[in-house]
Amino acid sequence: MQDRSVRAFGLGLTIVYAAFIVFLYVTQPQNLAQVTGSLTSSVGAYRVDQRAFDEGLALFRQDRHDAARAAFARADPADRDARTQFYIAYSYYRSGWGRFYNDDEHFQKGLEHVDRAIALAPGGRLVVGDPENSIHDASELRAELAAGLRIEGSDLNPMRMFRGRK
Amino acid sequence: VKAAAEAVYLPLLFLTVALLGGLRVEERVVLTPPPLFALVLAVLLFGVLVRGRVLGPERLMNGARSTLQNLNGLAVILTSFAASAQIFNLIIPESGLPFLLFNVFLFVLLLNTLAGSPDRIPVLRSLGVVLGSAFVLKFILLAALSDPDGGALKRVLLALLEGVTLGTLSQAPLSPATGYAAFATVLLFLVGLAMLPPPARGVALVRSHE
Repeated sequence: MQDRSVRAFGLGLTIVYAAFIVFLYVTQPQNLAQVTGSLTSSVGAYRVDQRAFDEGLALFRQDRHDAARAAFARADPADRDARTQFYIAYSYYRSGWGRFYNDDEHFQKGLEHVDRAIALAPGGRLVVGDPENSIHDASELRAELAAGLRIEGSDLNPMRMFRGRK
Repeated sequence: VKAAAEAVYLPLLFLTVALLGGLRVEERVVLTPPPLFALVLAVLLFGVLVRGRVLGPERLMNGARSTLQNLNGLAVILTSFAASAQIFNLIIPESGLPFLLFNVFLFVLLLNTLAGSPDRIPVLRSLGVVLGSAFVLKFILLAALSDPDGGALKRVLLALLEGVTLGTLSQAPLSPATGYAAFATVLLFLVGLAMLPPPARGVALVRSHE
């Protein structure tokens, strides 16, 4: 009887451990927060820290983007919330945007976060209905970031300096 | 103890090897699945283990065992195969000429061992030597050659390899954490192989002539 219990326990443990390893290889988490976040979101139990998110949003509206991103990172430590990822990407867009040229590093990071937001959103479509934003759709934000990274003939157009930040 | 080894220790040990075999600590942690050729080498290694009496599959799965016992046996076989594939993923360099040479060398070596009639202890010793040598070549010699800061070992190797274009040899720099994890993984794998149940010895019935 004891032999049977050990065998059943071992088989269960092996299946759970193997599934966990497959999960790690698929999700490629970078830290423990991402591991726990991925696990909890897979069962629908992941929640952002609303207080940190509100703090990040207030800083975002004041154009204090470094601080805003730090607050958003606290709110969503596992990078599993589409809306928070959208705001992080938007923050990179606004801090990287320039009248004469854009900061490619910021735009690249923004692109990574907006891609993550789109991947996390149900059906791959994310609309953030914040009236204070000029960009509401994650796809539109993605297009802005991607366009900012491309080198085109229109970059040399002097009228470009009159364009506005979204 | 036998049930615990078969149902708990061996599968968990081999799964840990499968997990750590793909671990690369760079700027970020990456878990790399085995390339296709690592699967081919794992099949050959599995053949060597069976032919070399390191693993007796018939002792893990047969008609006389219960369903649960056979499932435990299947878990050992599957996890040891996954670990074999990942151990090749770990010890084979990632790119360039070393990637090609290691693959060809290991392929021929395993085929050669398969063609012979090795026994359990020589096979385990041989695998210890092969995996240990590959570890030293990749994580010490090639890592020293690929180290952008250089060091005494790199200068010695450069002197020995005078005339060889390093572009064909150098690899992406490896962090020390990757090397330590790889060392532990190779050791774990060898311990796991030594713990595998060997096939039952056959008994010959000989009639004595009066």
